Amino acid sequence: MTGFVPPSGRQYILLLLLLCGFGVVLFRLVTLQVWQAAELSLKADRQHRKTVSLEGARGTIVDRTGKVLAMNVEVPSAFGVPTTLESPTKTARVLAPVLHVRSDELERKLRQARNFVWLARKLDPEQGRRLERLSLDGVGVVMEGRRFYPKGPFLSHVLGFAGMDGEGLEGIEHRYESYLRGEKRMMVLQRDALGRSVFPSNLTERSPTPGHNLALTIDEVIQYITERELEDAVIRAQAKSGTMIVLDPRTGAVLAMAVSPRFDPNVVSNLSPDRWRNKALTDAYEPGSTLKAVMAAAALEERVVRPNTMVFGEHGRMTVANTVIHDHEKLGWLSFAQVIQKSSNVGAVKTGMLLGEHRLHRYLQAFGFGQRTEIDLPGEGAGLLKSVKGWGRRSVASISIGQEIGVTPIQMVSAIAALANEGVLMRPYVVSEIRSPEGQLLKRVSPQVRRRAVSSETARTMTQILEGVVTDGTGAKAAIPGFRVAGKTGTAQKLDPRTGSYSVSRFVTSFAGYVPADNPRLAMIVVIDEPQGDAWGGTVAAPVFSRVGEQVLSYLGVGSNEPVTLAMSL
Amino acid sequence: MKILAVLLGLCLVFVFVWERVDMVRVGYQIERLKRDKTALERQRDELRVQFSTLSASGRIARVATKELGMGLPQQGQVILVQFRPGNTQPVAVADAVPVEVRVAKNDLLARRY
Repeated sequence: MTGFVPPSGRQYILLLLLLCGFGVVLFRLVTLQVWQAAELSLKADRQHRKTVSLEGARGTIVDRTGKVLAMNVEVPSAFGVPTTLESPTKTARVLAPVLHVRSDELERKLRQARNFVWLARKLDPEQGRRLERLSLDGVGVVMEGRRFYPKGPFLSHVLGFAGMDGEGLEGIEHRYESYLRGEKRMMVLQRDALGRSVFPSNLTERSPTPGHNLALTIDEVIQYITERELEDAVIRAQAKSGTMIVLDPRTGAVLAMAVSPRFDPNVVSNLSPDRWRNKALTDAYEPGSTLKAVMAAAALEERVVRPNTMVFGEHGRMTVANTVIHDHEKLGWLSFAQVIQKSSNVGAVKTGMLLGEHRLHRYLQAFGFGQRTEIDLPGEGAGLLKSVKGWGRRSVASISIGQEIGVTPIQMVSAIAALANEGVLMRPYVVSEIRSPEGQLLKRVSPQVRRRAVSSETARTMTQILEGVVTDGTGAKAAIPGFRVAGKTGTAQKLDPRTGSYSVSRFVTSFAGYVPADNPRLAMIVVIDEPQGDAWGGTVAAPVFSRVGEQVLSYLGVGSNEPVTLAMSL
Repeated sequence: MKILAVLLGLCLVFVFVWERVDMVRVGYQIERLKRDKTALERQRDELRVQFSTLSASGRIARVATKELGMGLPQQGQVILVQFRPGNTQPVAVADAVPVEVRVAKNDLLARRY
């Protein structure tokens, strides 16, 4: 049996060392856990938690049949951390061919004394993949939402475009910014030692909500037909530009709105604002004879004339307030209906003078001239309609033939659509529905009546007169086989800014009308700016009306009332 | 009794540790699934853009005219036939233009797909 052996000197030393060791550990533990606890836990939080700014995707824009016109796709953006780079020159040289950016430009960015610089944003997915394969130190990739317009220049002036940071800058993108923009939210993520995110510190935290989706009244097929035919006409006439609008006259819904030349909203950085301006809403022009339809409706409504009232054409020449008014042919006695059908300036001036300045002005306002149509697109102009006080001695005469007044294409087509719609002026609109990202209907836009411009009886009489323009008058080339077409041609001289007088070589030609005249489904306007050669509304704009009308009616399944025989060969 | 208490204590510790470990594991799993979801959503969006680009009327018209040799019908060649039940008598119009109607056969598409 062994008794208690007192520890030796060595063992005491060993025990002492162990106690010292434990004491150091204990001291360090107290230092870390008690004295420096607050500071260190803050540091740990900083390392483990990552606050990221997330933005919900911008809403999608579709046409009335659900075809995608604009949507967001996540694409890679490249960034650099210059402070961690050993050789900015080498890195820039490797990156340049992948990012398609000059290496000296990249080097300049990478030499900045900053922790973060954008190298190239919103790249193609393939560029992002190549960049990730390179796995360069101090260079990273983050995903950002990029706006895509998959159909390129299609409907560009209506859609507008969004900027680099996803904010709507033009067109619908700008007008409906508050609906389209996704929610912006800061989120806290937990990271592990390798920097991987574990899960949000607050499990109830939800991802930022995407923006709302818009459905337009525009129909992709009708818009395509309109753009194609307008572009062909502009090229054929060697014109400066062209505009065309197709409306449903019963509701004011815009089925197509085209401006030529178009632009690609995916690549706008090199374009001047003039290219993306929606001239259908912004640019006022003197309408010329198309305005005679409005003046005629006013004269009929006020019973100043009737369709068979005889008017003397003065053999195509008449002087008003020291200004000679000409007709394109020497006309004698005409019925009032013929005045409009043959587009007699003399006859229109005489009727306008019978109507008088106050009544003429009142009806122009009733048809929406001199005021915005309140279409849901930005940048709309009000045109130019002076108050009666500002009218001169020959203003009634000038305005009766569409001079001394500025109208926008959307105003003109709305006015002509009012005649098609039994005299009721509708508000034109392009967005029909707004839906949440989950597809829930938030808002459905209903057709909105602005006012009654003239009685339904007057509107029906005007339809008969305007049908005569196509069957027996200046608008013969607007005819569509199998359909009754009503409309009015217009050929207006442009003001020469150098001389201050009307140019003899620069014109705006137009045709505004509706079809089928007996049950209107389409109201359309074609405006061709500065066509060369045979520059008449009846020869340049009317054929476009006919071609678009025929194809769109066929597409919509609107059948002709006239029977035909078929010789089948199968 | 003491042994039972110790075992119970150990069990509780084990459950607590297991729960923490499993939470981390599930957390990683959630994150991986989230990444997969994001990647699939991205792919879906890219395909939607591609579909929209390929189905554009302008492109279809270009392929039809340039590659397949098709052409737009000329004015008056498109006729909508309205069927009125009960009216079996053909309507004869003296000056109507005879129109040839051809039916396209889908042999090419059938062979290819």
